[in-house]
Amino acid sequence: MYDPVRLEVFRNLFSSVAEEMGMVLTRCAFSPNIKERRDLSCALFDEKGELVAQAAHIPVHLGSMPFAVKSALSRFDFEPGDMVVFNDPYLGGTHLPDVTVIAPVFWEGKLCFFVANRAHHADIGGMSPGSMPLSESIYQEGLIIPPVKLVKRGKLDEEIFDFILSNVRVPEEREGDFSAQIGANRRGILRLTEVIERYGIDAVRDYAAFLQDYAEKSARQFIKRMPAGEYYFEDFLDNDGLTEKAVKIAVRVKVEDGHLVFDFSPSDDEVEGPLNAVRTITISCVLYVLKCILPDYVPANAGIFRCVDVVTRRGSVVDARKPKAVSAGNVETSQRIVDVCLGALSFALDFVPAASQGTMNNVCIGGVESPFVYYETIGGGMGASRYGDGESAIHSHMTNTMNTPVEALEFAYPFRVVRYEVRRGSGGGGRRKGGDGIVREYLFLEDAEVTVVSERRRFAPYGLFGGSPGARGLNLLVRDGKEEVLPSKCRVKVKRGDRLRIETPGGGGYGAE
Amino acid sequence: MDEAVVIGVDTGGTFTDVVFYHRGRWHILKVPSTPERPHEAVIRGIKESGRTPLKVIHGSTVATNTLIERKGARVALITNRGLEDVIEIGRQNRERLYDLSYRRQPPLVPANLRFGVNCRIDRNGNVVEDLDESEIRKLIAELEGEEFDVVSVSFLFSFLNDEHEKRVKKAVEGFFGVDVHCSSDILPEFREFERTSTVVVNSYVAPKMKSYLGRLSQAFGEARLKVMQSNGGIISVKKAVKEPVRTILSGPAGGVTAALYIGEAIGDTKLITLDMGGTSTDVSLIDGSPLMSTELKVTGLPIKVPMIEIHTIGAGGGSIARVDEGGVLKVGPESAGADPGPVCYGRGEALTVTDANLFLGRLLPHYFLGGAMRLYPERVEPYMVRLADELGMDPYQTAEGIITVANSSMEKAIRAVSVEKGYDPEEFSLFVFGGAASLHAAALSEAMKIKRVIIPLNPGVLSAVGMVVADCVKDYTLTVMLGEDELDRLDGFFSEMEKKALEEMREEGFEDARIFVERYVDVRYAGQSYELSIPYGSDVRNRFAKAHEELYGYSMDKEIEVVNLRVRAVGLVDKPPLSPIPEGGQSPPSDAFLGKGRLYFSGSWYDADVYKREALLAGNSISGPSIVVEYSSTVFVPPGFAVAVDGFGNLIMERG
Repeated sequence: MYDPVRLEVFRNLFSSVAEEMGMVLTRCAFSPNIKERRDLSCALFDEKGELVAQAAHIPVHLGSMPFAVKSALSRFDFEPGDMVVFNDPYLGGTHLPDVTVIAPVFWEGKLCFFVANRAHHADIGGMSPGSMPLSESIYQEGLIIPPVKLVKRGKLDEEIFDFILSNVRVPEEREGDFSAQIGANRRGILRLTEVIERYGIDAVRDYAAFLQDYAEKSARQFIKRMPAGEYYFEDFLDNDGLTEKAVKIAVRVKVEDGHLVFDFSPSDDEVEGPLNAVRTITISCVLYVLKCILPDYVPANAGIFRCVDVVTRRGSVVDARKPKAVSAGNVETSQRIVDVCLGALSFALDFVPAASQGTMNNVCIGGVESPFVYYETIGGGMGASRYGDGESAIHSHMTNTMNTPVEALEFAYPFRVVRYEVRRGSGGGGRRKGGDGIVREYLFLEDAEVTVVSERRRFAPYGLFGGSPGARGLNLLVRDGKEEVLPSKCRVKVKRGDRLRIETPGGGGYGAE
Repeated sequence: MDEAVVIGVDTGGTFTDVVFYHRGRWHILKVPSTPERPHEAVIRGIKESGRTPLKVIHGSTVATNTLIERKGARVALITNRGLEDVIEIGRQNRERLYDLSYRRQPPLVPANLRFGVNCRIDRNGNVVEDLDESEIRKLIAELEGEEFDVVSVSFLFSFLNDEHEKRVKKAVEGFFGVDVHCSSDILPEFREFERTSTVVVNSYVAPKMKSYLGRLSQAFGEARLKVMQSNGGIISVKKAVKEPVRTILSGPAGGVTAALYIGEAIGDTKLITLDMGGTSTDVSLIDGSPLMSTELKVTGLPIKVPMIEIHTIGAGGGSIARVDEGGVLKVGPESAGADPGPVCYGRGEALTVTDANLFLGRLLPHYFLGGAMRLYPERVEPYMVRLADELGMDPYQTAEGIITVANSSMEKAIRAVSVEKGYDPEEFSLFVFGGAASLHAAALSEAMKIKRVIIPLNPGVLSAVGMVVADCVKDYTLTVMLGEDELDRLDGFFSEMEKKALEEMREEGFEDARIFVERYVDVRYAGQSYELSIPYGSDVRNRFAKAHEELYGYSMDKEIEVVNLRVRAVGLVDKPPLSPIPEGGQSPPSDAFLGKGRLYFSGSWYDADVYKREALLAGNSISGPSIVVEYSSTVFVPPGFAVAVDGFGNLIMERG
């Protein structure tokens, strides 16, 4: 049995390690995605690959990282100083630009923990700059890296590194990102080793396990208080990125005595375009939803999973099979999975809000005249809840990346941001109002190629209990003074002087006015 | 009439502390603070000191409180059209990832007071869209329809070309007669949100600061009054009125400055300072000079002027202990505050860290605040028993547990300022002040492998001492964004900055011989986003590689980029010495011995000697378990530790 004092002490220790890894990674990285927008995650795992502690970074990464660690664990005999790199979504990744680096932690010659971090690289090759294409198969999306030992006993494998860097745009930048990821893991190993020196391996191992038991116990207590029953909710993706067919995402949530089942079987089959989600993403979404509804003190670790079953149908859009395209499953489908989970739970829990913007509004700009790749996502409105209006102009649910400052962006790239405003009036009405979206308008100073992957251009973010839906988003190309509405997902060649305006969705309202 | 003295004043929530040095001795006075009219306590304190002030150096909480209470001025913000909402959107992320009802702090300027103007400067400082006179006329007309007290102007890339900001300032100042602050004056650095936030905070607190300093100037004369900044240096009233954003962490900076001063006197300037109060604990690091930061946020708002890096956590003597639903002991961040306060204050219903210390016999009720405040130790036991039952533990273990959990959050703060920044705590001493810190110091030093704890004399008024011993410091910054092949241009920029620095230092009344100027550069690998600030020299590249290596564990063979230049001008101030205390032998004098107490430590009870700090003499040595009490704090010396009194009355605690 654990000591209730030590448990808190170890929780602080483990989270310090993960947070410090994140600090090293953000400060040393080269991809705007990592350094300015913090699209990264750091975590600690036990020797079985179970999540012990994570820094609060990007939700979509964290539920899936344990699978990544387990994948690596099943393939290799680890030695001290090894680091495994990989990005294959079908083996515990998310989408190809998210690259994971895993390192074992040894104590007295025995493997006892893992540290790992995942970061969104600005490009990982494939058919379009930024590696978030409107693809038909994963092979078009970029380089697939299966788990490989990039660092062997402390020494970088130059051949593998060279192989990876030869397949990506702007390799110098990627080299910097990989160095930062390796540096972050080294820092994590150093700190965790210090903790072991101080408290002894047995105590550290025990408390890593106790923290999981504790998470399970406190999660169960909460779930036991939820009204038992089955709650169904469905919603739609605008399309799959290639055809105009709407894609249904549906969940049946069963609340039983201290246990939850999220059954996604009624969701549509996997799709032609890149909106497929691998199963690990679906699990990440469920973990995120649980973390939101559980009280603050329940730590996010493997213990929570013991109270939950996630049921998916192989070959459905939330459990896609190789070689389906998945680049947008991570960023867009994940948001809709959260929307339906929360929608179902709104029948059981009174604090669940209406839908937030439900998209990340991915904008990727690649150079035509000069080589560059720039990727960003844009916030929108949050859903209102019975406790208050939704927040405006902010990232919600499965992402929390920061914006790139206009000046930082203009120092580095040949375009300007001419508008960055709250999209007033776009939040859904109701007793509590949904948050407003954002208007972001770019002016291109050189010809470029733009890929937009967005959602909620067709199906609006839902309101709850009589509240109105939030306004749908809008993508516009302004050329020679004329405005042209662009599809929710598109790839366009823009000319010098063109403007691209993205208006992001508002959040849903709550309660009848 | 007595000779005039330099007086340091620190305004706190409850007391306003007044200190001065006269004829070989430091004098201390506390008067009740007057939060509604803070100048009154300052004037009264100085009057009660009975001295003529030669100078009054002042740690002002006016700017801080104005910001915390959100009671500042109505600010109008003028910026580029299309970017009026930058201060509302911020960085577009949420501070609490899993909070479904997350709301950010509303911006200091509401939407109706944010005005966009058509004009644009590009990344090279070139005007790509000029500011028309008609735009200015339109702006004036719009402003006429609104009520405001002060104006901020912040345009993109104004740090490269301030022409548009200056034209707007001239027009608006001329027409409305209000103060106008330009971002290019307050913080000529890139990243529009942070720069705009900084200038807006400046405007927001400026009118209150102006009237406050006006009142004090009336009382003492403007020339005699100086104000402490968040960077640990003092400035004139004139400068503080123009740039009050530099004084936001004035008080805590005083404490760190005093720590360095005492450290210099005793030959130890590698210090981790820990100031533990009722609701929070401030931690900072001094490595010859205090660690600085430009990335601090105050009440959620980024303020990018250089400040002493002070890491604040919500753990203090008043932090509340409770058991969560999973059966784990939590301490803080909720605090019992001063009212109702801890259980032992007589009315509190929630156990705090202070109660735990009292319950274990480490805090002695009759000596608390010199016996001036009555405590109710008997109230604590039933609460402790109840909490212990919930945990399935013994009440004394429970009390020790409360302290262990509080310490683990303080450890986290110590790690944040040390190991995370590339400093090894083993090479530092722990310098503790504030009411509660010396009860926890031994355990913290043990946990962080810190060999030595320094407990200064008068730990309760340390910030005020810091005011008296601070130099005049001015920080200047400029974003240049130059590549490695352009480093030869840096000297030119630096000369310009130094010219201004020298002029302003002379205006502050310093002769050239007492002015020192330091150059720093903020450098990164081209393509990174975070810069490291390093002293400037001919070998920028190597210095940067070394700093990167130390902080992040590696360096790279890549181009570097110089982002910002920083100039720090220091005007040396004459500082009074620390006063020596009388010498004694190894054993404390008999009048220092107050009696015996029973205390609980690590699962056992001990008989402990209790000493009165004021009666200790230089050279005395006390071994643990023992307790040293003084007016505003208590030192707990656990078994296995010993305390030595140094020549200035500081207590030095070490294992052994």
